[in-house]
Amino acid sequence: MTILYDEGQQAIATESRRVLEARTSTEALLPLLESVGDYHRPFWDTAKEQGWTALALPEDQGGLGLRLVELGLIAHQAGRSLSGAPFLTSSFGAAKAIEIYGSAAQKARWLPRLASGETIGAIAFAAGPDALPSRPDVTLTGDLLDGAARAVPGGLAADVAIVLAHGPGMPVLTLVDLAGVERTAVASFDNSRCLADLGFAATPAETLAVGHAARDAALHILALQAVVTAHEQTGGAEMLMEIARDYALTRRAFGQPIGAFQSVKHRIAELYGLVELARANCIHAAAREGAADFITAAAAARLSATEAYDTAARDCIQIHGGIGVTWEIGLHLHMRRARSLAIEQGSSLFWEDVLVDRLAGEAA
Amino acid sequence: MSNLETYRAKAAAWLASMAPTFGRDARKGLAEADDLALGRRYQKAKFDAGYAGINWPTEYGGQGLTHLEKVTFDAEEMKHGFPSFYFGISLGMPVPVLMQFGSDRDFVKERVLKALQGEEIWCQLFSEPSGGSDLAGLRTKAEPDGNGWKINGQKVWTSWAHYSDYGVIVVRTDPTVAKHKGLTYFWVDMKAPGVTVRPIRLAGGDSHVNEVFFDDVKISDDHRMSPVGGGFAVAIATLMIERYVATDSAGFGPHLDLFVDLAKDTQLNGKPAIADGRIRQQIARNYAMRSGLDSINVRARLMMQAGMIPGAEGSLNKLVAVRSRQKLSELAIDLQGTGGFAFDEHASQKEDWASSWINAPTGRIAGGSDETLLNTIAEKVLGLPQDHRPDKGIPFNQIPA
Repeated sequence: MTILYDEGQQAIATESRRVLEARTSTEALLPLLESVGDYHRPFWDTAKEQGWTALALPEDQGGLGLRLVELGLIAHQAGRSLSGAPFLTSSFGAAKAIEIYGSAAQKARWLPRLASGETIGAIAFAAGPDALPSRPDVTLTGDLLDGAARAVPGGLAADVAIVLAHGPGMPVLTLVDLAGVERTAVASFDNSRCLADLGFAATPAETLAVGHAARDAALHILALQAVVTAHEQTGGAEMLMEIARDYALTRRAFGQPIGAFQSVKHRIAELYGLVELARANCIHAAAREGAADFITAAAAARLSATEAYDTAARDCIQIHGGIGVTWEIGLHLHMRRARSLAIEQGSSLFWEDVLVDRLAGEAA
Repeated sequence: MSNLETYRAKAAAWLASMAPTFGRDARKGLAEADDLALGRRYQKAKFDAGYAGINWPTEYGGQGLTHLEKVTFDAEEMKHGFPSFYFGISLGMPVPVLMQFGSDRDFVKERVLKALQGEEIWCQLFSEPSGGSDLAGLRTKAEPDGNGWKINGQKVWTSWAHYSDYGVIVVRTDPTVAKHKGLTYFWVDMKAPGVTVRPIRLAGGDSHVNEVFFDDVKISDDHRMSPVGGGFAVAIATLMIERYVATDSAGFGPHLDLFVDLAKDTQLNGKPAIADGRIRQQIARNYAMRSGLDSINVRARLMMQAGMIPGAEGSLNKLVAVRSRQKLSELAIDLQGTGGFAFDEHASQKEDWASSWINAPTGRIAGGSDETLLNTIAEKVLGLPQDHRPDKGIPFNQIPA
């Protein structure tokens, strides 16, 4: 069952949009592309100041006790104005892992600091094309991690990470304090994502879950993050659809606004369809948090949101013609972000398999 | 249990009790005339049980409930394959419009009651050979004739006209003004002298649509359902009902579960097709699309329940669902390979992939073509400009042919 947003939720959407539109700009984001390891500090300061870092964490650990629906609304707005850092999602994933699978001591140590935003979290599950490898590159021997987790979003700035490691013959989900861990920045097409290779060398790690339970836990965390990201993607796609619409109304060619040509107006109408399907799936998935079909709903949201954002990025630039491919107009910020969000939390290829396994009754 | 869930449970129980007499198995092998007769009995049974005109006023034989109960009942009814489609158009558009705009209230009431009980069927005479999407470009004319009117011209794609007792029709009453402004809306007796109905066989083999010819068909002025020259607004009101009725995330084709079952039962390169990446991708994409539409439709229902007007995203239903059903049906036939050749022209398009495939083009055209729907979204929802229309504002009789 999906939901309608109540007044409180609508207020979260309106207020976060107002704040983000006032504090972010294309001019501020463009230079970040050319500098490896920087993020947009005003964005993260805003997230902390507005309580977004605490939003979906438990009240007894310094959180606000709201849920995925509310965090999704913030993420949607962040997507509209291009979030300046990946931490809203990465810290949320780390915090949820600790909240659900951690001990009382681990929660007390990390959750209040993650909720306030003074500590940044990251998730390190993926190995190349495999979002959830059955044999991760990082190995766990005793309580010590070795090996490298590659291109971890937010990894350059994170203080704590949830790492999927290869233990004695089985996967192990671990909690790792990143103080002293070697990080190598990854120069990427979307540098404010603060991607880093994390190099572990006899790094102490605490075990959260083992074997099948570790894999199930990792998938659950990934699905929670995927729903947040899907909202962000939908927000980005919606923004691009509006930019394309506004441009098509003002730009004239052959004696009329280009939006009067069906080749252009139908392209924008198709974007509207993709955005609305993604939005509907996002609302449904967020409302299914904790339900038996949550993973299925998350996969559907993720797939439709990835398609919406990638398509909107392609088509919005296309509709702009030459001006669309200039550095200065910044549409490439969305094009880059559409792709980085498409990979973070597992690509469409991964989620298609997750979804079909469930539909065909083959899920583990 | 909410009131609506109680309603659903009761309706489901009643429908299940009707299935042996009227359901898909009871209909197997029936000739169309017998199937229609069965359909009339089923419609009467619905009326007697209080499931006809669910959201219509009680003074017209309806139940006085809301759109929610109606949608709830329809969703349950769809599961059994009842012969209800003969009445789908009749009770969907023309009869509600008659209730709203008919001038002789006693006559209206009598017609509505007979239609609800399956005794009479109404059709909708809109499209013409010269255009369907361009409704206002229609050419069938009504000229003053004594105290009434005389109709001449031709309609086409009229569903169930060959079984219809009455129809609603839009005709041109003034060719000297701009095309939208010279139209008037009437009802006609389909058995009147001068009305000729000729079935058209469609690509899938069935013949539920017709050409309808009008040769000096005389009607009195009390048949008129709009002001003279005000027919376009009533026609648009009718089409709005049509777009609203059409929600099925399967695009009126088979449920995705049937495709998953087929993929599990089919071997491809020595492996179950469900393990093939190309098949898996299509299942996943179709699921994501359909679940999005389902969520849109549930939210629309919640909004109506809360007394709000649903968002414009409901206009995506037919556009998105039918064209993806078309492609999925092709893929289902691919999966069956030579086993997919077998064809039963009377199979249900909700259960049979070949039937779904061959009838899919009709779904993408009827009730607003894909292109018309995209135009509507672009113009009405997004505020993009209208296309260049050379006939705009020009008197109908001066538009270049």
